Amino acid sequence: MANLQVDFGKFQLPNPVMTASGTFGYGMEYANFYDISRLGAVVVKGIRMVPSDGNPTPRVAEVTGGMLNAIGLQGPGVEKFLHDEHYLPGLRRTGARVIVNIWGKTPEEYAEVAAKLEAEAAADLTALEINISCPNVKAGGAAFGTDPKLAEQVISAVRNATKLPLITKLSPNVTSIAEFARIAESCGSDAVSLINTLAAMAIDIETRRPKLANVTGGLSGPAVKPVAVKMVRDVYRAVKIPIIGMGGIVCGADAVEFLLAGASAVAVGTANFVDPAAPLEVIDFIDAYLDRHGFASVKDLVGALEC
Amino acid sequence: MSEAKIISNTRMHGDYFRAVFDAPEAAAGARPGQFVHVRIDRRGDHILRRPFSIHNAENGRITLIYKVVGAGTANLSHLPAGSVCDMLGPCGRGFSAPAPDVLPVAVCGGYGAAATYMLTRFGGGVLLLGARSRADLLLTDEYAAAGFEVRIATDDGSAGIRGRVTDLIAPLTAEHPGRKLFFYACGPHPMLMALAKLMRTNGWDGELSVDQIMCCGVGACFGCVVKVNDPARPGEWMYARSCTDGPVFRLADVYTE
Repeated sequence: MANLQVDFGKFQLPNPVMTASGTFGYGMEYANFYDISRLGAVVVKGIRMVPSDGNPTPRVAEVTGGMLNAIGLQGPGVEKFLHDEHYLPGLRRTGARVIVNIWGKTPEEYAEVAAKLEAEAAADLTALEINISCPNVKAGGAAFGTDPKLAEQVISAVRNATKLPLITKLSPNVTSIAEFARIAESCGSDAVSLINTLAAMAIDIETRRPKLANVTGGLSGPAVKPVAVKMVRDVYRAVKIPIIGMGGIVCGADAVEFLLAGASAVAVGTANFVDPAAPLEVIDFIDAYLDRHGFASVKDLVGALEC
Repeated sequence: MSEAKIISNTRMHGDYFRAVFDAPEAAAGARPGQFVHVRIDRRGDHILRRPFSIHNAENGRITLIYKVVGAGTANLSHLPAGSVCDMLGPCGRGFSAPAPDVLPVAVCGGYGAAATYMLTRFGGGVLLLGARSRADLLLTDEYAAAGFEVRIATDDGSAGIRGRVTDLIAPLTAEHPGRKLFFYACGPHPMLMALAKLMRTNGWDGELSVDQIMCCGVGACFGCVVKVNDPARPGEWMYARSCTDGPVFRLADVYTE
């Protein structure tokens, strides 16, 4: 049994496996399948100040080696998230460590959500994840994550609004993801998570229409993993803050690739839809891998790529 | 979530297949209108599960009726007896049992008739089945054998009346004056919307199975949402997840534009 604990400075996790925002609902949806407190952390779906409807349907389409989605951040709003039984109050009782993904249509709204979460639930939250990378909303999301000046404004606004640990979730739809990681670091983000989905589309050739009502969406699943691993390595070489790596992880071996590339922790996303128990299998595999290769701690694996 | 072994998987006719699984966990407590979420292929390029209405669940077995429409169902159609799939279920909200004083009427389009078959367990009733043509009719003998009267409408008139399934309703109500009918519907979205409007106009009640392309099947991804009436804002809609809030909705909840 190797040591699976990970230390992000401002917060610690018992193991390096989380769930990716948007693929695990608000946590309770999977609490029926297993004890979700076994996860390093649960990262819930994006929350903003007010409820949002999300995009028209169809919102998902399967593609070779993965899927497209354009959910558009449907969500209950922060008030309901904090007080409705299906969200934080239920999640609190599971004992899971909770990271809340936050977004807004303006930098001010991001800051407002962060301040409200800190004011009303600081003790229940492990960290906040700033979503500047959703490709499926017109205002907010990737609009902030693909423009360096706007990214700086959002991250700084949130940083000034809360003392909670901050993770900035980065978009892969940029020329240099390392540049955005450096911005996150310089604006006081405690960690970065990457990658969000890759902007993509698919067409039904019989109807000659896009398969998604939103026309474009975000690609996720095994198809994106090599892109994500490369970007984690790029970011690892650019910043000192820890990285949460994700993108197409379906098994433990995939997760080890991300750790070797420089991620301190990983998140399982699309694989939850296929196999709800996938994150647990990833934890067990990492544990066995560390023993098999004589590593005492998962920390020894981070960035241990030989090249 | 459990392993389900295929006992048989045979072509009915055309692109329609019947698969029987040994699946005690999913079969236990399965209700009419619920679905199972099946991981068909563990190695292939198509990773997502596929949802199927439960046609029948008895003696630890789940029967599915499916049409080959894409990669997932094509893969399923090639699996021989003895193959094992991972099966999640029973999932979602199903149809309610008919009240003792009503005549249950299943209103179905095409292989939507698979989803209402287990209603025959509650006693007699009527199946109104619409299809493009005779070649798209399914399960009519099974419904008849289970004690349901079967009436048919086809677009081309090759079986039953020429017309839409909703055209079968007025004659039925005329034959049962004073009898309360309760509708259970499953079929293509335009059919369901037309039916819902007709039901509202005539003051009929019932339940409709309304869904969208599904992904997780457990309420986490918000991919399969459908519009329902928002109880907090009369006249306005909100999105509900067809996998966990549905797929069966009361008429009062179904939003019609």
